[in-house]
Amino acid sequence: MRPLPLAIAAVVVVLLVFVPWLASDVMMQFAIDALLLAVLAQAWNILGGFTGYVSFGNSVFYGLGTYGAAIAMAQFHLPFWVGILLGIVLAVLCALLIGIPILRLRGPYFAIATLGLAAAMGAIVSNLPIAGSNIGLVLPLIRADTMFYELSLGLLVLCTLTVLWVSKSRFGMGLVAIREDEDAAGTMGINTTVFKIVALVLSALFTAVAGSIHAYWISFIDPASAFDPTLNVRMVIMAVFGGPGTVFGPLVGSFILSAIYEYLASSISTAAALLFGIVIVLAVIFMPRGLANMIGGVRARGPRYFLQNIRENRL
Amino acid sequence: MLLAQILTNGVLLGGLYGLMALGMALVWGVLNIVNLAHGAMIMLGGYAVYYLFAGLGVDPFLALPIATLGMFVFGYLLQRFVLNLVVRSAMLNTLLITFGLNVVITYLAQLAFSADFRTINPGYAGSNIAVFGITVPLVNFAAFAIAIVLAGAIWLLLNKMPLGRAIRATSQNLIAARLYGVNPRQLYAVTFGIGAALAGAAGGLYGTIAHLTPYIGASLTAKSFVIAIIGGLSNPFGVILGGIFVGVAESLTALYFGPTYSDVISFGLLVVVLIVRPARALRTA
Amino acid sequence: MRHSMTALGALALLAASTSLASAEDTIKLGASVQLTGPSANTGRYYRDAYQMMVDKINAAGGVKVGDKSYKLQLDILDNQSDVNLSVRQYVQLVSSDKVNFLLGPFASNFALNDSSVAEKYQVPMVQGGGASTEIYTRGYKYIFGTLPPADDYYASTIDMLQKLDPAPKTVALVAADDSFDVSVAKGTRKLLKEAGMTVAIDQAFRDGAGEFASILSQIKSAGVDAILWSGHETDALNFIRQMKSLNVDPKTFYSFTVGVPTADFRSALGGDANYAFGMTSWLPDESLKDKWYGDASQFAKAYSDKYGYQPDYHAASGAADLETFVYAIEKAGSLDPKAVRDAIAKSDFDSLYAHIKYGENGQIVLPQIVVQIQDGKLVPVYTDKILNKPQYPIPAWGKRG
Repeated sequence: MRPLPLAIAAVVVVLLVFVPWLASDVMMQFAIDALLLAVLAQAWNILGGFTGYVSFGNSVFYGLGTYGAAIAMAQFHLPFWVGILLGIVLAVLCALLIGIPILRLRGPYFAIATLGLAAAMGAIVSNLPIAGSNIGLVLPLIRADTMFYELSLGLLVLCTLTVLWVSKSRFGMGLVAIREDEDAAGTMGINTTVFKIVALVLSALFTAVAGSIHAYWISFIDPASAFDPTLNVRMVIMAVFGGPGTVFGPLVGSFILSAIYEYLASSISTAAALLFGIVIVLAVIFMPRGLANMIGGVRARGPRYFLQNIRENRL
Repeated sequence: MLLAQILTNGVLLGGLYGLMALGMALVWGVLNIVNLAHGAMIMLGGYAVYYLFAGLGVDPFLALPIATLGMFVFGYLLQRFVLNLVVRSAMLNTLLITFGLNVVITYLAQLAFSADFRTINPGYAGSNIAVFGITVPLVNFAAFAIAIVLAGAIWLLLNKMPLGRAIRATSQNLIAARLYGVNPRQLYAVTFGIGAALAGAAGGLYGTIAHLTPYIGASLTAKSFVIAIIGGLSNPFGVILGGIFVGVAESLTALYFGPTYSDVISFGLLVVVLIVRPARALRTA
Repeated sequence: MRHSMTALGALALLAASTSLASAEDTIKLGASVQLTGPSANTGRYYRDAYQMMVDKINAAGGVKVGDKSYKLQLDILDNQSDVNLSVRQYVQLVSSDKVNFLLGPFASNFALNDSSVAEKYQVPMVQGGGASTEIYTRGYKYIFGTLPPADDYYASTIDMLQKLDPAPKTVALVAADDSFDVSVAKGTRKLLKEAGMTVAIDQAFRDGAGEFASILSQIKSAGVDAILWSGHETDALNFIRQMKSLNVDPKTFYSFTVGVPTADFRSALGGDANYAFGMTSWLPDESLKDKWYGDASQFAKAYSDKYGYQPDYHAASGAADLETFVYAIEKAGSLDPKAVRDAIAKSDFDSLYAHIKYGENGQIVLPQIVVQIQDGKLVPVYTDKILNKPQYPIPAWGKRG
């Protein structure tokens, strides 16, 4: 990473800190939502982008973070930070527990196992009385969008710094080696199991905190929204759209897609879903390597870029 | 007696589950596309039969082959002109594009069919016979039988016919497929068309047993997905067996733990199958 | 330079005052409703009822606040049956679209989420789409509802059953596991106990699963007298279809919390819908007098003429939400949210839906009218007395014509 993008990023972050004093309430709603989604995409990136383990089960950790905060606050009347901690503990424990068996699976096997886990976890929680069964839990109401915004921004910065570190560290090289050829990485002396589990735990941790913040902010949660399977798909889409395995790709991808979706949902309203679907289809056809590749790659420019993609990927 | 009845329910339901998953398994195994719009295609097949029956008065079981043919054409065109454009990029991309297609199809379906609930409800829809004190719903039984027959037809196609050999060759090696003198673009489209046709047949039967709305697709995709994994992608009868396995497991769970646990069981099974025998699942055709 | 600044300032003031003036002539009501997605089928009742009432009220001269007349303006967004999106849209309505008051979405889980926006911003919301008691037990001040409490849905039915011959003694209670239906099941268990009936089977099912073969087989082998069912409409459809195909015949009675009153349900099931009991908090009856349409039957006629389908209690409840606002705004003589909120709490008037009077917690209390489908027609059967003779006991599937 050259110093210039870093400097730009630092300036952008400093500017973003002051957004709450300028933005309208709606803008704040959108911003908090977009920041949290960006955290999810970025956290997914650690495992999916760098390590090449495509997870469709990160909503498990999101849901656990959500329920950690909700159970602590709604059932035991504990402060918010205890809820975040509880969410982190649950998610990390879960990551360690399931990581060992399912990280032995490769490629699509892993993706599918995580998908199954996400669905099973939602179904389990909806049968737990302490989690409010399938009805959900009501958290104390608080009107503090500025706090939620700064927390989300802070979390995103932390998450991105972690990814930045990953991209430059020996640990990150190990992850990329695993992505490129896991067996070779093993023979090179990388303890692949430990590396993969650490990546999963990092991913789980950030995802869970995002869930906790969202829970307190939205103040009512149920299994359907906490373990929403489309959330998994959205994380993946955002990261892949931006460019998986890069530091800023998932961020840019998630901001752009959030903005498109929000614009469609609030201005065109009924046709929003249709257009969102079409955007995804077109994006996959014309820029299958993500935004980062389109901007940073050394390939053809302009319309020829899109044609080249099609030529490479069509039958 | 109760147990026998519940096992019967599970087996009959499982046959239909298997048929739903059959098309998904075929497309997945041969083309390496996990089709997230599969459930939406089941939904389209259901509506095709519904309109043939409610609009033109065609008997649902006669309408079924027509809808199946229609869905074949739909699937063929979709693969030929859209999915073939991305089929060589990463598997993740085919997943995303079918997710997008699912959104688009569902939305257009609501425009075309409205959000009203529909059922395909011929006079004989609820009739049943008693066998040794066990109630066997006739339409469910017919659906089960059709599932077996179609699985057999797919098996014959893949193993005994030149087209099937070409399909199997393509799944292993694109270049080798050219040796059969078949255009792979054509072949991919035909294979996806067959997958869509199977989805159409499953949809018609589903509408005769349950209900149709434009939104049933998502949960049916998930179900098909689980069964395709549990049954394996290699053998059509394996997929049907996978369906029966899930159907019976769900019925027994509902009996012994309560119906709210059936998702825990089916998705739990999926994870266990993957961890214990990953090599068996996902072996391609 | 200074002159130009003053001129600019004056211009800005002028612009502000004209926009103020135009804003003053309308009262904006906002709602985010399920227009697409799995709940769109019921969501449309709310959009259409809101629109009908607004048009009618505006045609009649609008709302009088003091001696000034206001037109109503309706701002409806599509939440695509997505709870998270609906919360964001309510915030948008309140803070950027600057609506004066909020109308509700459909379904309890949406109302649960969306009402916290109303409470946060202290903008009154009157909603006719969520009946779950949880909405009203949080101590919120700005949420009111026109669907009666879910706990009591089966009260009139159980009352009626005790007067019928033979009165059922054993009951299977089957309810979905979402907020609304868990409330129904909880209340019904209590009511059954008080009535001295035995709950032989008590099963929850996963909302939207649509698979009842196991429950039905258990009901059949237990041989119960009656089935009381609670859930959403598509599941009710599947339940009846599977009842028939598995030959499950409770000895005397089965009833559903939803579905039976809607035309869609009857047309989807055809003859198989016959004999099913259900309930509704509203019927298009001439006895329900109303300021705008005259009475409920004329509302129903205008509604089906305009939209091509019959309204049910969802639509009437939505219409009553609008009537509540008009009533309360005129009573309060102001658009101040707090004043209107207090006026809503003191509501006491006749609407085409029911007599509107909110309880301490903000929820209306209404009896459910027991209805039955007799020869493809919806027939009211019981409120606190028999209205029409019920077809009872329900004949077995094999013994119908």
